[in-house]
This record gives sequence, structure tokens and C-alpha cells, in this order.
Amino acid sequence: MKRLSVMMFMLSIVCGAAFAGPATAETLELGIPLPLTGAQAKFGEMEMRSYQIAMEEINAKGGIKGMTVSLNFEDGQGKPEISRAIAEKLIDVKKQPIIFGDYSSSCSKAIAAVANERKVPYLVVTGADDAITQQNYEYVFRMNPSNAYYAAGLGSFLSQVVKPTSIAILYESSDFGTSGADEMEKYGEKIGMKVVVKEKYEKGAVDFKPILTKVKAQKPDVIYMVSYVMDASLLMKQIKELRIEAKLFAGGAAGFAIPEFINNAKDAAEYVVTATLWSTQVNYPGAKEFAEKYKAKFGDYPSYHGAEAYSALYIVKDAIERSKSMDPADIRAAMKATKMMTAFGPIHFADKDGYQNQNFMETLVLQVINGKHETIWPESTASAKYVYPIPKWRDRK
Amino acid sequence: MESFLQTLIAGVLLGGLYALIGIGMTLIMGVMKIINLAHGELMMVGMYIAFWMFTLFGIDPYLSVFIASPILFFLGILIQRFLINPVLKVDSILPENQVILTVGIGMVLANLATIFFKSDYRATPVSYGTSAWYLSDYWESAPFDLSLSVPWTVSFVIAVAITIALWFFLSKTDSGKSIRATAQDLDAALLMGVNVKLMRVVTFGLGSALVGAAGCLFIPIYYLFPSMGGQFTLIAFVITILGGLGSTNGAIFGGLILGIFESMTATYVGMGWAPVGRFLIFVAALIFLPGGMASLLKKKRIGK
Repeated sequence: MKRLSVMMFMLSIVCGAAFAGPATAETLELGIPLPLTGAQAKFGEMEMRSYQIAMEEINAKGGIKGMTVSLNFEDGQGKPEISRAIAEKLIDVKKQPIIFGDYSSSCSKAIAAVANERKVPYLVVTGADDAITQQNYEYVFRMNPSNAYYAAGLGSFLSQVVKPTSIAILYESSDFGTSGADEMEKYGEKIGMKVVVKEKYEKGAVDFKPILTKVKAQKPDVIYMVSYVMDASLLMKQIKELRIEAKLFAGGAAGFAIPEFINNAKDAAEYVVTATLWSTQVNYPGAKEFAEKYKAKFGDYPSYHGAEAYSALYIVKDAIERSKSMDPADIRAAMKATKMMTAFGPIHFADKDGYQNQNFMETLVLQVINGKHETIWPESTASAKYVYPIPKWRDRK
Repeated sequence: MESFLQTLIAGVLLGGLYALIGIGMTLIMGVMKIINLAHGELMMVGMYIAFWMFTLFGIDPYLSVFIASPILFFLGILIQRFLINPVLKVDSILPENQVILTVGIGMVLANLATIFFKSDYRATPVSYGTSAWYLSDYWESAPFDLSLSVPWTVSFVIAVAITIALWFFLSKTDSGKSIRATAQDLDAALLMGVNVKLMRVVTFGLGSALVGAAGCLFIPIYYLFPSMGGQFTLIAFVITILGGLGSTNGAIFGGLILGIFESMTATYVGMGWAPVGRFLIFVAALIFLPGGMASLLKKKRIGK
């Protein structure tokens, strides 16, 4: 059995090589650092598959500047020091003219420092820490919105539709949770929303009822939670148990935006809104096709990380094709002039609000309607009309 | 008032489940004089059994108590017989090498689970997962509303039932008495003809079965991932110390106190402080009550 699979694999390589479009002598080898083992491996794997889908599409249409693209995935294990070493190898040994990829903020930060020092452009694909594009790094570009802009769409939904006067913020005690909560607090001050409770919790807690009891007593208009998926489900389940009647339950991305949240929280997930960067039914060109292709191949839909990785290769392709030469400085100039539409959304790297080479884009709001995530905001990209006001727990069947 | 009562309910429910986790470790501690630091991992194994029974055959996690406990019982016996017993006999530089061995067993279990089941989060989305009873549904003019979650309450009631059954076993049956005799005085028990070796094996199995049952009770209200064991080992450890190393009655009180204290801390101080509260209790117990709850219980009995 094992031998058979090895042979199949060899065969597929041979076939792949034989049918790889117009026979070009040249291939463009691109190394991509990704966490393929360790705690973040799940996302690394999803991104790897998405890059591969993009690569197959690009090669089928003639590659980049006539060169066949060949991707090598390097396992950074989610550790910044290993990611840094990979970036050094790609730049110094492989002479790769542009670096892109990796998953976490800390790894992206490590690579950004190396890339800028060696004057090779680096495209950050998923690292969301604000600071990455705030350090005057000329050579570092970021396609995903930073943490501070992550919930921008949710913010405009709140101020235009819900118009709340008070908010309770619950967040997990990690970098991610803390920065998300702080951003919401700042935003709340801006639109005159009083923060009545702001509490952190240790990830993996069993019982949220005590803290929710405290929230219930304050009667906030909105309950905003920054949590990973399992905490998110427990929170909503226990909110339902305690019948806390807020005007809106909102999640700060991550845990609330993925299908597992609905599977686990079940009916308690209904009408919860969440900020996210991308969804499978958003009407950007190529988004649905990519989602369906991914699902057909791997059995489930990708999250926004997949769309980011998929689009990243197209951004790189676009920049290399517009660049005068394969010199890193020329590619940097081409990156800077990027103005394109991808499956992930519009990409344009701007210097604004203390950021350099940052892509600013509208973020989406999802709502769980009839047990499914629907895009409800901004209304121009919505797949369903939002449900507001939401019914009280008591009146739900 | 509503906040206080609701918090108290949450604390008691949590405490009852904590007690069941703690009793297993306490039993093993009492008889074998070692802390079983693979306790949380054994619970994880029990949860995986319940999870797969639910996912593959649709068996309710609460029924899995009857499946997971026997399996864990035999797993415990195997661990004691073939891993811990041989180490007990060996002279080594480290006096507590069995304890270190249990840490290793825990790591092996957690890593095996990662290899076989991946590090994904798992849960059993049971149909009654979010149902609850409300005071206002039964008493219309209630001054405040209290709620009682269905799965939490069922878990709590089963935990109490198991605890009572255990108490009955330990105090009324021959084997139970032999286990207690072994715990109280090993040499005397040996002289009285108690098969100490067998009792040790049985105790380890029993302790594992108890925590396996606790796993089945936890999965409808919580979730599951391979590295979750450490957190619950720690909780069991604190309860064992608080209860007074080896006293099952002490462990019951220890679990309840810990549950209520954690819930109260979360409501009135802040949820981020709940783990701190846990260790405050732990340190306070070591300093002010080295004998644990057991010493308090004993004192009262003598007073009578």
C-alpha cells in the first residue's frame, strides 16, 4: 500500500511536469515560510493548500512572465527564530527577490526585520499586529488589515444600526484578546458608548456564569467578546442559560466567524454578529470560485486565512509582471504601485495614520441567521438582510 | 442578591464536579502515597471515549459513564501493574521517582492523543446542551430570575450519586474497608491479612475509573483537546491538598470550597483572578491547615 502510494506520487510528479502548459525551460522557485507543525499547523496547512490552488491556476494560464511557478514550503513551526532563519536562507542563499507568507504576527515581525535590512520586499499575508507596518520599513507590505482596523466594519454597523449607549467587553487574556478589547473601548469612547464592564478571562475556563452574572446586572446594550472558538461557544451557551437580554451579541472575529462556532453553540449562536475579513459568499471576483474549489478538494470551506494566501500569490504575480526586472528594488517599486482586485478584496498599499505600505480595506460583518453565517455589512456586499432588533431569549422557541 | 445566588449556584455545581475529579487523586494518594500527576490525562482519555461513543454511535455522554469507567479501570490497573509497581521496587537516587513516572505517563497519553486524534477541539453537541430551568417560569412573580442549566445539573447529580456510591463501597463493603485499612496503616493492614498489593492495584483502577466518569460528565458542558489534562491535574492536586492528603470526605469539601471560591472571585473580583484565587487557597491551606479539611472534620468528631 505504501509503495503504491509512493509510486502514485512519483507518477503524478512526472505527469505534472509533462503537462505543465507550454514547456518553458525556466521555473520561478518561491520559498514560503509557514507553520506546518506545532500549534498553528492547522492554519499553516490551510494556507499551503490555498497557495497551491493559486499556483495551479497561474501555471495553467502560462505562469509568471512565462516562468512556471514552483512553491517550496518551509516549516517555521510558528517560532520566530526559525522563520527568521528561513527568510535569511531564502534571501542570502536562494536569492529570492520577494518574500511572502508566514502566519503569526510574531513570525511576520521577525521576517520583516530581516527583509527590510537586506532590502528585499516582504508581503505580510496574515500577521495582524499593528506594529508590523508602523516601523518605517520601506520594504514591508501588508495585505491584511491590522488589528486596529479588524473590527472597523462592526464599528460602523454599531453606530449606524444599533446605536448603543453601553457595552460590556469580555476578552481572553492574550495579546490578541487584549488589543481587540482596547480597540473596542477606544471606539466606544468615540461614539459615546459607555463601557460598563471590561473583563478578561483565562483561555480554557470552564464556567463563565459568574462573570456573565455580573454583566447581566449592568444591563449593557451590546456584549462584545474577543474569544477563540471554544470559549466563544461556551460564552454564548451560558448567555442563553442566564437569559441575558442585550440588544446585540457581537464577537470580535476569530472564534465567532468559523462554522465550528455554530456547530458547538447551536441555537445559542443564532443572531450573533461578528467582525471578519472575508467570507465564502462575499462578492469579490473569484472569491466564491476559490471557496468552492477548496471545498471540492479538501472537504470544507477555507477561512479568511486561505483567501489571503490564495490572493497573496496573485499580488506577487502582479508585482513581478509589472516590475522592470527581477531586482528586489524594482519589485518593491512595482509592489508600491499595486492597485488590483483579488478574491480577498481590493489591494492598494498606502501610507496613512502612521502606517506604511498598509492595505486599508472595508471589513465585513457576519450574522448567524438560521444556523448559517451570512454577510450583512457593508450592505453593498451583503448576502442577507441583517436581523435587528434580535428576539429575546424568552420568546425564542 | 440575584448575582450572589446565581454565583452560588454556579459555584456549587462546579464544586461538585471538581470534587469528583479530586476524589480519584485523593484515593490514590491515600493508598499509594504518591500524587498521580497523570490524573488530568486519564480524564482526557475518558472524555475521548465519551466523544467517540457519541460521534460514532450516538451514545449520550452520560451513558458513556458506564463504558468509560470500566475501560479506565483496566487502564489504571495496567498502569499500576506494569509501570508503577516495577518502579516502586527499584532503589533510585530520587526518592519520589514514581511521581516523575506519572508525569511521563501523562505526557505519553497527551501526545498519543495528539497523534491519533489531532490537536483539534472536540465537543459533543447534545440536544439539551443549552437548555435550562428558570425560576420565573415556575414562579411568575419572582423578585429575581435564577437559572439552572440542564446539563450542569445532570452532571452534578450524577457526580453526587457516584460519590455516595463510592462512600458506600468504602465504608460498607469488605474490599472498601481493606482499601481504607491500607490507606490508614499499611503494616497493620498487612498483619491483618489484607492483600495490600491487590488493594493498591484496585485503588489505582478505581481512581482512574472515577476520573474517567468525571470526564464523561464534563464533556457535555465543556470541550476536549489533547493537552487539556494539565489544567485538571492541577485542580485535582489543589483539592487533594485542601482536603487533607488522602481523605475522601475532605476532598468532597475541598472540591466544593474551590468551586464556590472560584465563582465568587470571578463575580466580585474579576474572572482573570480566578486562577490566582485557586493558588491563594492552595498556599493558605498549606500554611494554615496543613492537615486539610480532614483535620477539621476529625477535630469536630473528637469534640463530640
